[in-house]
Amino acid sequence: MQEKSQRKQNKIIELATFYIGDALCGIDILNIQEINRHLEVTWIPQAPEYVLGVLNLRGRIVTVIDLGKKLGLSPISPGKDNRNIIVDSRDEHIGFLVDRISDVMIAETEKIEPAPSNIGGVQGKYFKGVFKTENSLIGVLDINAALKDE
Amino acid sequence: MIFEDDETLRMYVEESKDHLVDIENDLLLIEEAGENIDEDLVNNVFRAAHSIKGGAGFMGLSKIKELAHKIENVLGMVRSREIVPNPDMISILLKAFDTLREMVHDVEHSNEMDISEHVTVLVGLTTASLPEDQKESLSTMVDVALPSGRKVLQSSRFDIDHARKEGQFIYLVEYDLIHDIQRKRKTPLDVIAYLLNSGTIIQSKIDIEAVGTLDTDIPAGIPFYVLFASIIEPEIIPSLFDVDESAVHLVTDDMCFPVKAGPVEKKKAATVQFSSPYRAVPMGPEPNSVGLEKEEILPPADESIHVQTEPESHFSDGTQSRSVEKLSVHAESGGDRILQTKHAVSQASLRVSVGLLDLLMTLAGELVLSRNQLMQAVSTNNMRALETAGQRIDMVTSELQEAIMRTRMQSIANVFNKFPRVVRDLAQELGKEVDLIIEGKNVELDKTIIEAISDPLTHLVRNAVDHGIEPPDIRHRLGKSPIGKVKLSAYHEAGQVNIEISDDGKGIDGERLVVSAVKRGLISEQHGSLMSEKEKIALIFLPGFSTAQKVTDVSGRGVGMDVVKTNLDKLGGIVDIDSKVGEGTVIRIKLPLTLAIIPSQIIDVGNERYAIPQVNLNELLRIPAAQVKNRIEKVGDASVVRLRGNLLPLLNLAQVLQIRKTYNDPQDGRNMPERRENIADRRSRKNPLFTSWEDTEEVQNEPTGRLNEEELRVRSGQERRINIKSAVNIAVVSAGAFKYGLVVDQLRDSEEIVVKPLGRHLKGCCGYAGATIMGDGKVALILDVAGLAQMAQLTSLEGSDRVNEAILDAAKQKKAEKNKVSLLLFRNSEKEQCAVPLGLVERIERIKAMNIEIVGGRRVIQYRGGALPLFSLDQVAKVKALPNFEQLEVIVFRLAGREVGLMVTPPVDAVDVVVNIDTITLRQTGVMGSAIIGDYTTLIIDIYEVVRTLHPEWFDEAEIQPAPQGGVTILFAEDSAFFRNQVKGFLQEEGYHVIDAEDGQEAWELLGQHGDSIDLVLTDLEMPNLDGFELTAKIKGDKRYAHLKVVALTSLAGDEDFAKGKKYGIDDYQIKLDRDRLIETVRAHLDHIKRD
Repeated sequence: MQEKSQRKQNKIIELATFYIGDALCGIDILNIQEINRHLEVTWIPQAPEYVLGVLNLRGRIVTVIDLGKKLGLSPISPGKDNRNIIVDSRDEHIGFLVDRISDVMIAETEKIEPAPSNIGGVQGKYFKGVFKTENSLIGVLDINAALKDE
Repeated sequence: MIFEDDETLRMYVEESKDHLVDIENDLLLIEEAGENIDEDLVNNVFRAAHSIKGGAGFMGLSKIKELAHKIENVLGMVRSREIVPNPDMISILLKAFDTLREMVHDVEHSNEMDISEHVTVLVGLTTASLPEDQKESLSTMVDVALPSGRKVLQSSRFDIDHARKEGQFIYLVEYDLIHDIQRKRKTPLDVIAYLLNSGTIIQSKIDIEAVGTLDTDIPAGIPFYVLFASIIEPEIIPSLFDVDESAVHLVTDDMCFPVKAGPVEKKKAATVQFSSPYRAVPMGPEPNSVGLEKEEILPPADESIHVQTEPESHFSDGTQSRSVEKLSVHAESGGDRILQTKHAVSQASLRVSVGLLDLLMTLAGELVLSRNQLMQAVSTNNMRALETAGQRIDMVTSELQEAIMRTRMQSIANVFNKFPRVVRDLAQELGKEVDLIIEGKNVELDKTIIEAISDPLTHLVRNAVDHGIEPPDIRHRLGKSPIGKVKLSAYHEAGQVNIEISDDGKGIDGERLVVSAVKRGLISEQHGSLMSEKEKIALIFLPGFSTAQKVTDVSGRGVGMDVVKTNLDKLGGIVDIDSKVGEGTVIRIKLPLTLAIIPSQIIDVGNERYAIPQVNLNELLRIPAAQVKNRIEKVGDASVVRLRGNLLPLLNLAQVLQIRKTYNDPQDGRNMPERRENIADRRSRKNPLFTSWEDTEEVQNEPTGRLNEEELRVRSGQERRINIKSAVNIAVVSAGAFKYGLVVDQLRDSEEIVVKPLGRHLKGCCGYAGATIMGDGKVALILDVAGLAQMAQLTSLEGSDRVNEAILDAAKQKKAEKNKVSLLLFRNSEKEQCAVPLGLVERIERIKAMNIEIVGGRRVIQYRGGALPLFSLDQVAKVKALPNFEQLEVIVFRLAGREVGLMVTPPVDAVDVVVNIDTITLRQTGVMGSAIIGDYTTLIIDIYEVVRTLHPEWFDEAEIQPAPQGGVTILFAEDSAFFRNQVKGFLQEEGYHVIDAEDGQEAWELLGQHGDSIDLVLTDLEMPNLDGFELTAKIKGDKRYAHLKVVALTSLAGDEDFAKGKKYGIDDYQIKLDRDRLIETVRAHLDHIKRD
């Protein structure tokens, strides 16, 4: 019983990590529907600046967001490593365009520290916390905060 | 705590819903019939209530049972003519049924609902009509026991007595759910339905207690007790029930025991509640259920109190209406809940006819076959087979689509049927009499639309009754029938559904709307004055508009007409109002049949493809390059196109959406800013977005059809190479009554598209109605025509044709204000068109050439006992001589106190034109200048100069003679030479001394020089340097001149200018060239000065 509660506290999560510029970020892999390089994005005039456009994901219209812009970092620079991370948020598929994908990290929730109010110029409100590995810091993204429509 | 056998419960709910469907109308009919009770109708309603009650008893839906039961009691008395139906009573019943419906829709929570108010009022109804001695029976409960003495049921004494009184026998039937029902392959509902055919169920109950707990032996059966009243004799009754004879007991008084308060409660708590068959733990007296039961038992006590407090007065108006009102508040809030639950339910299941399902199945089968065919064709690489398979799939999918659509189609009756009730309640509340006529109930619409139009329609119908129909006394006074008519009709037309709501009420007063809109600052006064009646009425759709003097609780429901319109717009619907004050209003709504798949026009702008729904599309317009210059005009910042005589505002889609010139990078698929500076630079032919057709076009070294303001300007400035690509493509679209042209690059095919919603991050973009996926898998946005107009700030009001035109005209007029004149056109010789200001003309005469006399070298004609001097233009100016005709037209002028006639050649015509008078090119004696009027170069004749040249002595005389007003000096400021001369001319003619100035500044300086001698200031308003308003302000602000009257001259006396002028201190307004009135005014003002 005790063990159980402990495990509950110290859950192991898998983080899919990716780069926005030089910043390494991670999303709980359970939030991710798929990662693709579907780049036929239809641009939407008048859309918020961070919205790159929409794409057709097997019949669904998916809004693609430049995660760099959305988080207040540098915009994603186009390149062949660009990927769309399709996440599911409030019954809607949304694509995050990121610079490139990195590894899947296994993290213990216990070891995720609260995000400093200002990490690398990014507003802390978008992050659940920071996960330290031996040689890097991963900002764990709170997708619901990041996708909160303003 | 209900029976959780899903299947049975669902059946019960479905059945009950069916029962409830027609209740409203039946009740309304009963109300109408009044004393002439139609027993069939009452029976209908009675049976509905009864069946619901019967089932509810079995399901353990105690609240439903109770309410249905009370309703049944009332109806029973109506049937036996103990109560005469009246509107109040029907109201109570309607509201009770509302609640009942609500409970049925939400059976799971029905037991938690508070129905005490209904019960009180309903019981009030029954007791009020009962003789004193029976009243008590209503509130007395009796236990009915088996002959063994086991009390199994509780019923009201009243029910039993009532049934007996009607000559019915009361039976207590003991069913066994296992043996009598399940084993015989019947459902409990079957049994109940069967029983209802031959009698009434007073009370029913499943006795769980008898089943025992798991600890005891397996029970022999689950007893289901029914207290049944029927006229069937005891001898034959057992065969009816299909149970063992021993299970049927004729209830005698011995078997009924008055309820003793305490123990019963306890007992009931343990028995009545029916627990789920799946519950492992047998029913104990749960705290919850005890509470509930208490409530159920409490009403009797409540009732008796009620009866005591207001026994007789219940039908006297005061209390009655109060209690109804109280109920209505309750029902209202309940009503919303019904809508919600209804919504949820309607989404959950849908009835589809089996025939349609079969058709779907067949089509699905065909689709599979076609797929096989296709696969085979692909694998064998057989092009012909591929083609046939393609065709077949095309056909099957269309049919399949249509069939699936049909499953979504619902009759509009679903919405319409609720209106008799709405209208009735409302009319009653407002003290009006209204007849509702409904037509076209069988028209079918997509279910999403049906759901969505319900609220807007309700609002419109309520409006019609609330604001449209007048109270009966007023109607009577107006000579209308005191009963108002509201008609609701639906019909198909051109692939759309039309819904009309018309009333014969007071109509909508456009003027009042304008006043109100101006007051609210929604439109300017000038707008208002320029609007057509229809546009005025359309003001009602403006956000923030409500004409109701006071917000009644009817209209104050938070939905304005703007919301109605927005909602209908969202559905792709169009609203249109026709109204005549005093005669009524007709509101027409056009709706598409379905929303999910819509036909649309695909268009291109830049690299982007967009879809315009066909509903919004009126026509496609292509203006060839050669005509662009003529047909597209720019007024202020707005481009307009002339379309069949109307001006159509143009929106450049690329501009509205701020589509930068971009190209689609083939490497990463993203849009990059256009690097080409010059629009004439060639676009890459390899761009995958371009179809082959376009590629061939691209070869031509010309810009794409993209049109922007610069280009328009360039085009209108100078003719460019004529090329197919410089043609302008316009999609003429309409959102509601408001039309505009959308300038696009390319018009493509018309396609059926599937509407998909956009994500929440794009909700802020109002220009799109959604997105769709094109054949190539790319996404295209669907344009929201109304939203685009909003973005471009073409509000529906400003954009409507007439107003737009008026604005344009006003803008033009402002520019040309000084040059807008009424002219009299005539010919000198046949080819020479001339004109004089109409204001100078006295009249026109036709004379015969032979009547002209030449006396003293001058031509005259005898006229009204005098001689009218005649002259022709060629006497003064270098024009051709008059041709010799037998008949001549003579334009008679009055100059210097005399009449003169100018001989001219017909036709003579008066026109109001805006002309640019060129005072230089063709200037000569007697000719003030020239202008182009109706494609002719027209000489503007200066009649003063003509006469002065011919008869200088006339004017000398006039000047020698002291002016009647005696040396009065007028300062006249006017920048247009034409008007300055004209006005100065006739002022001088009247004997005034006129000092003229070319603008306000000059006038101000002249005023400084001449100071005291000036008696009156006349000024134009629009002038360079210093305009009329400021001049006036300066004059009025200076002590030396403040006494001077300032009269403004204008060619367009708009209310706005008038108000503005007043503010600056302008004393009077006169229209330029309205000579007589101007003179009159001047005289009046001067007289005034003299008297001072």
